[in-house]
Amino acid sequence: MTAPPRPAAASASAPGPGASRPDADRPDTSRPGTARFSPARLAWLRSPVVLGVPAAAIAAGVAVLLVIGSGATPAEAGQALADGMFGTDYAIGVSFNGVAVLMLIAVGFSVAHRVGLVNVGGEGQLCLGALAGTAVGVKLGDGLPRALGTPLVLAAGFAAGALWAGIAAYLKVRRGTSEVITTLLLNFVGIGLVSLAVHEEALLRQPVTSSETLPQSEPVASSGRLPLLDAATSPATIAIVVAVASALVVAVVLRHTATGLRLKAAGRSAPAARRAGLPVGRLEGGALAVAGGFAGLAGAVLVATAPYVLDEGLSSGYGFAGLVVGLLARGSLTAVAAVALLLGFLVSGGINLQIAAGVPASTVQVAQSVLVVCIAGAMRWTAARPGGGAR
Amino acid sequence: MSAVPSLTWRAPRARPAPEPFRGGAAPDEARSSGADRADATVTLELEGLTKAFGATPALDAASLRVRAGTVHCVLGENGAGKSTLCNLVFGAHSPDAGTMRLYGEPYAPQRPADALAAGVAMVHQHFSLVPTMTVAENLLLGTGLRLRPPRRELLGELDAVADTYGLSLDPDARVDALPVGIRQQVEIVKCLLRKPRLLLLDEPTGVLDPAQIESLMATCRRIAEAGHAVVLVTHKLAEVARAGDEATVLRGGRVVGGGPLAGIAQSDLVAMMVGRRVAELDPLLAAGLGLEGARPEGVGPEGSGADESAVDAAPDGGGPPAPGATVPAAAAATSAGAPRAAALAVRGLTVRRPDGTTALDAVSLTVARGEILGVAGVEGNGQSELGAVLAGSLRARSGSVELDGHDITAAPPARRTRLGLGVVPEDRLHEGCIGELSVAENLFLARLADFRRYGLLDRRALNRAADEVVAAHAIRTEDSRAPMRTLSGGNQQKVVLARELALDPLVCLVASQPTRGLDIGAVGAVVTRLRDAAARGCGILLISSELSELLAVADRIVVMYRGRALGPVRTGEPGARERLGRLMTGADA
Repeated sequence: MTAPPRPAAASASAPGPGASRPDADRPDTSRPGTARFSPARLAWLRSPVVLGVPAAAIAAGVAVLLVIGSGATPAEAGQALADGMFGTDYAIGVSFNGVAVLMLIAVGFSVAHRVGLVNVGGEGQLCLGALAGTAVGVKLGDGLPRALGTPLVLAAGFAAGALWAGIAAYLKVRRGTSEVITTLLLNFVGIGLVSLAVHEEALLRQPVTSSETLPQSEPVASSGRLPLLDAATSPATIAIVVAVASALVVAVVLRHTATGLRLKAAGRSAPAARRAGLPVGRLEGGALAVAGGFAGLAGAVLVATAPYVLDEGLSSGYGFAGLVVGLLARGSLTAVAAVALLLGFLVSGGINLQIAAGVPASTVQVAQSVLVVCIAGAMRWTAARPGGGAR
Repeated sequence: MSAVPSLTWRAPRARPAPEPFRGGAAPDEARSSGADRADATVTLELEGLTKAFGATPALDAASLRVRAGTVHCVLGENGAGKSTLCNLVFGAHSPDAGTMRLYGEPYAPQRPADALAAGVAMVHQHFSLVPTMTVAENLLLGTGLRLRPPRRELLGELDAVADTYGLSLDPDARVDALPVGIRQQVEIVKCLLRKPRLLLLDEPTGVLDPAQIESLMATCRRIAEAGHAVVLVTHKLAEVARAGDEATVLRGGRVVGGGPLAGIAQSDLVAMMVGRRVAELDPLLAAGLGLEGARPEGVGPEGSGADESAVDAAPDGGGPPAPGATVPAAAAATSAGAPRAAALAVRGLTVRRPDGTTALDAVSLTVARGEILGVAGVEGNGQSELGAVLAGSLRARSGSVELDGHDITAAPPARRTRLGLGVVPEDRLHEGCIGELSVAENLFLARLADFRRYGLLDRRALNRAADEVVAAHAIRTEDSRAPMRTLSGGNQQKVVLARELALDPLVCLVASQPTRGLDIGAVGAVVTRLRDAAARGCGILLISSELSELLAVADRIVVMYRGRALGPVRTGEPGARERLGRLMTGADA
């Protein structure tokens, strides 16, 4: 092969002393300018504590600005927020009830997350659970013992939520439809169904006796209501106990059983799991249904808590807040508990903020969202491997 | 001065390929050019480079020099630190200790972007092209944020690349329509467009057929001729013989030898890589490793002289005897005997690809118990689909598959496993195992019910059982609780194989490309396991693109050509290799 020499390339390429550097005119960019900031030395910066403090500070800063903007002083607002969160036994009780609902939804999210599915349908599943819980709850006789009635209401909620998520699960497994889309859209159907049910007397609306009859259901029979932890002082129900127990059970199942390992395997590599003979479709469908079940349980918990009625504003975004808890916890059940505690208390504090300090409760939501964005961004950074090896 | 060496550079085929490996009888021409090269610019210089992941050092005080205008081969088994070296030079990792110099200047890339800016480009083992985009679109991807992609400029540059390196591409072809060899050329052109001073190629030949390897090596030479430096990371010695000027051998993270290839005998390279003499390797196996640079005839790009000389020179190259001479006889000996019961019978299997083309066209074949049936063929002729249909991950349009008399045509994987069909999938990391799970979990994923205690998973028993398998199969890992992805490719494959061979009953094993990307030691382990299984009465269907390996291991070989199964050819027949070569290229079809 004696091809004619390519003039430009060949002259530059001849490895003689005259042409020592093929790209002599190239600007030198290889200077080790950033060597001092080696990833190893900055590793301590990646600890979650170090990241959490500035995130909280930024969120607090935003909140203070909003408070000042709405005409209150930060001190007043802080006092009102603190009172709302844990100023009184009553406040603490209400906060814990909120925490329980968030936690249940996030526990379900974690189950689906383990098998690689993202359940964004918590809101809709919660609505269906609340519907079913109400339907069962209003029919219960008052003579029934509570030990029977309450579990019936909760079980109805779980089953309805699971069935609702089961629609998405069926579409996912049989048709390959993305569960993100289906669960998200089923939210609106679920919210609509609640609206329909509480406006239709034929369904769940209480008998209309005057023009002032509210569009809401009859109260759940006393045998179906959640018992209070300490009836004398606080409205806190056993919901928090149910939520913590659920988290514990799910944590044990995910971490210490064959089922948990199979879910993880199917989530990490469906083809490999299928090759190993695992029923990937059933695992996915089952996990999504269980996720829906827990959201439905949260809905039943809501209607079995004072004021024991189903109305349109029942959820007020718990489903989405629970989704945020699940996303931030990233599969850790301990983190689910911690984040649910934080967000649950903030939400109930925000309500008092409006009542006591005249600051819109949405201030807390804004601050919360800023916190979420900061933490999520920081987590990306924590997860990044030193050295930038993206794969 | 410049004319004489450049003549030697530019004519790789004029340089007799096998001769540099004869040690003492090195040709004067090669010697003198080697001396000239000593004066040439050192492109890359590594001093005492060390990098540890966890407790084990992946690279331990490695030093090497790459000269401009040369192809420098970095040799070593999997886990020897080759990829770590590449990643350090390309800035994907930072070294723990040691220095790098590029053209004499300190070089410490923090990220791949730094390396690219400094003129270092890398072709990864796994391609990074967007399959649904055209070649031109892929090449324009990295050009930054502009309102209008500089398409016209790109076409000009492509012409220049075609002129300089002989790499011409169709800019409007969609990447997913291109064969894997062309895709790799796209990757290389993508690097060349950045006008690199140093090009790293990490295991570039793993997915290529012999003809594609040949043209890749020619490309490497041309890039070196243009004055750049090429670092070729590989564990295949035949490639080194064809393209390399110098070599550095790594073992266990350390540099154990190297220098101009003209001064090193090939058997010494093997000894350095594996840490033992060639003579101690299984001769059948060594024949299958392409140590002599032997390759099937008739598939070379233009029937060039270099192939012939490589093949002809093999017997006196100092390596083990050529496969053609001894292998078929031995294989015939193992396959002799009374006709055996069929382990796997495939009849009239037809599979269409999603785009409507025919992947398998009425394929029929039978694997007897105790037999190793090889499936050869150039990549993309239906072997992958055959493996997938047998594994149960792809539905056949028509035809039947029978395992030991049971119809498994439509059986789910779990039933296949229960009936005794072991499967080593082609894509190890995608289907064979799960990188995030531990070795123990991967080994027993299908049998978790055996490790139940009080309803919970008995992890202690699981890990104990895994420890036994790890010891029995000599799987190198710190711990059976270590995540699968921390193992080297060879050890991952050992895990998959151990799992599949542990099936009870084991009627037939379908192994797709089980030695792809493995080093010599691991190939030996895999092949030995396959032979043992066959000796115990298991039928084995071995799908491989390494013809030499098939000739060394299989009893009969069928060739996949455009979805049809041609043959079979008994490996004992005289001229089997030639016949297979003709079948593979469609000359006999």
